[in-house]
Formats: sequence, C-alpha cells, structure tokens
Amino acid sequence: MGTELGKYKTCVSARSTSKEILKKAQDGGIVTSLFAYALEEGIIDGAIVSGPGDEPWRPQPYVATTVGELMASRGTRYNISPNVSLIKEATRSYGLDKIGIVGTPCQMQAVRKGQLYPFGWRDVDDKIKLAIGIFCMENFPYQSVKQLVEDHAAMKMESVKKMEIGKGKFWVFGERGQVVQLPLKVTHKYEQPACHVCLDYVANLADVSTGSVGSPDGWSTVFVRSKNGDDIWTKAIAAGCFETKPIEQVKPGLELVSKLANEKIGKNQKTVEARATFGVGKALRNPYIKP
Amino acid sequence: MSKVVEISPTTRHEGHSKLVLKVDDAGIIERGDWLSITPVRGVEKLAIGKTMDQVPKIASRVCGICPIAHTLAGIESMEGSIRCEIPNDAKLLRVILQCANRLHSHALHNILTLPDLYIPGTETKINPFTPEEPVRSVAKRIQRLREIGQTIGEIAGGEAVHPSNPRVGGMYKACQPRAVTKMYDLAKEGLVLAHEQMDFMIAVLRNMQKRDWTDVGGKQVPIPKTLGYHSQGYMAADPVYGSSNLDECPRWDPKRWTDVRPWDWYMGEVEVSLADPSYPVGGTSPVGTKANPQMEACTGVPLYDGAPVEVGPRARMVQFKNFDEKGTFGQQIARQMEYPDCLHTIIKCLDEYNPNGKVLADNIPQGDGSMGWAANEAPRGCDVHLAKVKDGRVLYYEMLVPTTWNFPTCSRALTGAPWQLAEVIVRGYDPCVSCATHMIVVDEDKRIVAQKLIQ
Repeated sequence: MGTELGKYKTCVSARSTSKEILKKAQDGGIVTSLFAYALEEGIIDGAIVSGPGDEPWRPQPYVATTVGELMASRGTRYNISPNVSLIKEATRSYGLDKIGIVGTPCQMQAVRKGQLYPFGWRDVDDKIKLAIGIFCMENFPYQSVKQLVEDHAAMKMESVKKMEIGKGKFWVFGERGQVVQLPLKVTHKYEQPACHVCLDYVANLADVSTGSVGSPDGWSTVFVRSKNGDDIWTKAIAAGCFETKPIEQVKPGLELVSKLANEKIGKNQKTVEARATFGVGKALRNPYIKP
Repeated sequence: MSKVVEISPTTRHEGHSKLVLKVDDAGIIERGDWLSITPVRGVEKLAIGKTMDQVPKIASRVCGICPIAHTLAGIESMEGSIRCEIPNDAKLLRVILQCANRLHSHALHNILTLPDLYIPGTETKINPFTPEEPVRSVAKRIQRLREIGQTIGEIAGGEAVHPSNPRVGGMYKACQPRAVTKMYDLAKEGLVLAHEQMDFMIAVLRNMQKRDWTDVGGKQVPIPKTLGYHSQGYMAADPVYGSSNLDECPRWDPKRWTDVRPWDWYMGEVEVSLADPSYPVGGTSPVGTKANPQMEACTGVPLYDGAPVEVGPRARMVQFKNFDEKGTFGQQIARQMEYPDCLHTIIKCLDEYNPNGKVLADNIPQGDGSMGWAANEAPRGCDVHLAKVKDGRVLYYEMLVPTTWNFPTCSRALTGAPWQLAEVIVRGYDPCVSCATHMIVVDEDKRIVAQKLIQ
C-alpha cells in the first residue's frame, strides 16, 4: 500500500535517557520524556495524560502540570481513556494556554477535526501545542481487560505489575513474578467493536507518534510528522532527553510496523465495507469517504 | 399638525426594533413609540415541564450578548424556588462571571455608539473601524477589553457565550490556582485599559454634550440640552450582582410588578406622513406606509409600582451611588463609570476565592412548587427571572429582561428631541432587543392575560 505509515519527516528508534522514567515506562518512555521536556521548556504548560483511575488499571484522563504529576501516568493501561474530553476543561478551569495531549490514532483524529472545525471548541483549537499519538491496533473496554486478567490469566487486577501486547501475545506480568501469555485469538472478542472501522495504526495525524512495534525491547519507534513535532523533537534530542538509533539498523524495523499497519487496515476495511450494506436500506457512513 | 415618521429597522444595537414617532412642524417628537419587532421565542412556554437544570441553559439562548446574565438569573430563580443556598466559592465564581460579562458588553456598546460622537476639537465623527489614529488605538483597546472579559468569563464560566459551568446548586467545576492567577493577571491588565477607556469615553461624551448641533445624514440637527430626559423612576437590585428571594433583605419585590398588554400601551394604526430618504442608513419609511405599534410590538410592558422604570447602569448608579445626571449623556457616562468597578470586583473576588473550596451545595432540594425569583444586574439592567419548581421540574417560568423594562421608559424619553436623534436616545439604553421579546402578560392579580399570542 505504501501509505500505511502516514506522512513523516523522520523515523527513529529511541528511548528516554531518564532512568526514573524508564523504571515504569511501557517501552522507551517517549511520551513521558517528551512531555517532561516540553513542560520544563515552557512549550506546553500542561499535558492531558491518562493517569491511574479509581480502579486498578483503569485509566483516567488528567491534566499534569508538573513533571511529578506526569510520572504517575507512565506505562500503558490497555483500555479506554477519554483524554479528549478534558481538552476544553484544560483551557477553562485549569487555565492552560499551551496544551499537550497524548492519545490513540482516533483521538488524534478528533483533536485535528476539532482544530479544523472548532465547533464548541472556542479558544481551544489554537492552544494545542503538542499532540503525541500512540500506535494502536484496537482498544478494550475496562470490563474486557478485567475479564482477560481475572478469568483468562487468573490474576487479580491489583496484583498485575504490567500488561503488554507484543510478539503476537497479550502478556500479563504479576507482582509475584507470574507471567501469563494469552494468544491474541482469545482477546479479539473482547475488543471494542468501534475500533473495527479504524484505518489508522500509527497515529497519522499526531505531531509525533510512537509505539513499541519495530524496535527492540525497551525501545520505541518514533515517527516525527509535523513541522511543530519536528521542532520539539529536535530540541529534545539536542537537550539529551533521548538516545536514538536509526530505524534501519534495528530489528525488527519498519517492516513489521508496515506489516501490522496493513493488517489493521486490511482487516478493518472489511468492516467498513460490510457496513455499507448494514441495516435496512440505510448504510452506515464510511468515515473515510466524503459523502 | 403632527406628522408621523417611522425609522425601521433601527440600527447599531442587538435585535430588531423600530421607532414610530409623532412629530410637530419643527420635527420635535411629541410622542414616540419604540417597539420590538423581533418575533416571540416563547422560552417561557418551552420551559414548562423541563428540568430545573435544563431551563436556565435554554433561557440563556435568548441572546448571545448577555447569556451569562440569563444563565445566572435563571439558575438563581430555580435556587430561589427550591430554597438552595450555594457555597461561597461558587458565589464568587458567579460574581466574577457577571463582571466579565459586563466588561465585554460595555466595551461592545462603545463600538456601537462611537459613530454618533465626534473626535473632540474636530468636526469628524468617529468611525471605530478606521485604521487611523487616534481611533485605531481606541478600537484596539476595546477589542482587548472584550478579549479580557471573555477570557475571564471562559475560565470562570466554562464558556464566554452561554456559560456551561454554572448549575443549580453552585458550579460544576472549581477553578484551579493556575486559572485564578491567569484571571488575576488579565483583570490587572484590564483595569489599566478600563480606566483609559472610561476617561476617553467620558471626554468624548462631554464634548458631544457641549455641542449645539450634530450632523445626521448631511443635515445639522440641534442637540437639546434635555436629550433623553424622562421623569420615570429607576429600578436596580444591586450595584454589581443582584438579589433573590433567598436574600435576607430582597431588593426587588414581585408584588410591585405588573404587566400591560402592548395594545393598551402603544399607538394604534398610523400612516407615515413624513419621510427623509437621506436619513442614514437607507432613509426612513416612505410616506403612506402603515404602522401599527399596538399590534406589531412583540413585548409586554412591565410596570413597577404601576409605572415604567429605567433599568441599567444609570439606575444602578442612582440607586446605590447617588448619581444624578439625567438624559442620554448621563446614562452613557454612568455606563463608562462601571468599567473599573467590574475589574475591581473581579480582583476582590479572586483574592477571596479558595481553589480548594466547595462549589456545589451538599443538598439540592427538588422543589415544592413555591415561587422563586432572581434579579440579576445584567449589563443593560435588572434581569428578573421568576420560577416555580416542583420535583425538579419547572411549573412556571418568566423572564423580565432589561430592555423589556426600558422599552416604555425610553419611548417617553424620546419626547422633546428632534426625531433625527431618536436613535441616539435609543442607543443610550444599549438595547438588546431580542431577549426583550416575551409575551406573558399578567394583570394586577398575576393572572396571565395575553398568553394566547404564544400558543
């Protein structure tokens, strides 16, 4: 296909140079490090991230205005965090003028759509200064994750240390050293159905998008997409926030990213097409085609 | 023999209204009727059966300039009905919101009235859109004041237009310390600009007051010293915020309010017998046009103690600050004098505000159907909302908005002025016509007598 990775200026494999961030980071600690740099440099004055919620492993969007607050949000929680819902409030009762936001590809689409057509987003669109997208194959509702962990992996949510999707498996690591791997075949039926129309794997519309796929363990693949993203990324590199390797020199490299992106697009394209004949005489709109 | 002139529509104010004027041979108004011809929206009818949370939000949609005043008056009338006291920090946020609204509204009004006025010492009328100095910097200052007002409103109220943050029982969100600092900085910046703007406007208005004539459509029209004088009373509930039935000493009394139907108040059918095609913009209505203010007016005529009253900046100044200047210029000057007050109040409230404080009442009763009212001092005057809430649903809702009060008063103030200056008098009230268009008329026994129009 050739367009599955979107437009980007540069692509590298990178990881944070901060040991503190890496300690609890999902992979290379890219999002936390980049936001921390942007916060300290005044590029943003707050970032909307998903921090710990009321229940174990339930993310809750919150506005981090200090690096300390940012630290609480390290790592991935594999279920839905409605980060965009906070973006307007961040400009209002939080009083932010320069916002950073992290989100999945669909959330990046929402952010850009809001900027393009700021209906109900008065004085919000111009305040988004850094949008970081994360790779996403699909997402789970909280109940799904709970069921996967508690029923399939036979572990209490409280005793989970880390969750990870990689190497074709859903991994659950327990506090006491248990490691459970579930084949993705098992997890498919727990996916959020709305994810099955999404044709974006690598957050094409973000300033910077990142994810573990394509890089070795402990490292992340980073696409720098926009001029703004490039500017901030270059400065962060110069400030020594990240160590990087050319993506061509790492295994498994961009080929795997392309493969998975195409897989997602191919699979979901079928759902999009199936929807054209869904219902009685009224097809569901294909969001990728102008009516 | 008196002649009839009709100016329709009137310009440089919000909404749709017209003037039907009976003038003498010298062109001096003997009787003027200023009436709203914006169609009735029927918010009061829409409100019935809706929840008490919905209604103030719907009510705020009557206007995009004072939605804050309508939201606050609507919410507080609900709170008045259900007898709900809100936490102090929520009240402070509401006062901040109120002042932010007044600030940007007054600044907007400056833009609308400046073209009536002259640059002092010259024969040049002010065009607020010209790129030339000295007007350019004034326009920029007005824009910045509006921006400051709207940004503060946005932070405290969630939105500058149709604020989302206020709710029955308090506010949805408290402002974080960073937001408080931002509002404080903006208010400090605004205070300097507000003083400059007030001084400028008063200088320009005093200059106009000293003039003997003004140019209207290429003709020299004398300015009477009594321009806009009337002998009606004033009504104001508070110098800044408002009052409600929950106050220890309420400053508005629903028993003193009655309504008159427009057909008992305005002129009957008349035919235009004087026209001036050179009157800006586009001339007056041609001779032979039929006008029927009685049937065309889309507002009731509210009376306080049986007579029309003036509401607005001057009414507040007269009631609470011993202001005594009459007429259009007095009214305009009173408005400018409110500028610094808005910002001083914001700063004072921010000093008192605690970001960690509670902004929502612990207990929000659902109401037993008793009457509640709130009189909010909107930029243009006292905005009274009345409501009855039972089990969380609205049984009765009424809005008595500032310009509704001002319509009959302003009509009387037109008498004695050259008809070409009628619009100048109207603009002195900073009319906001569309929200004034309501049609539930009650008589002395509070029976609804004109409901048929909105059914």
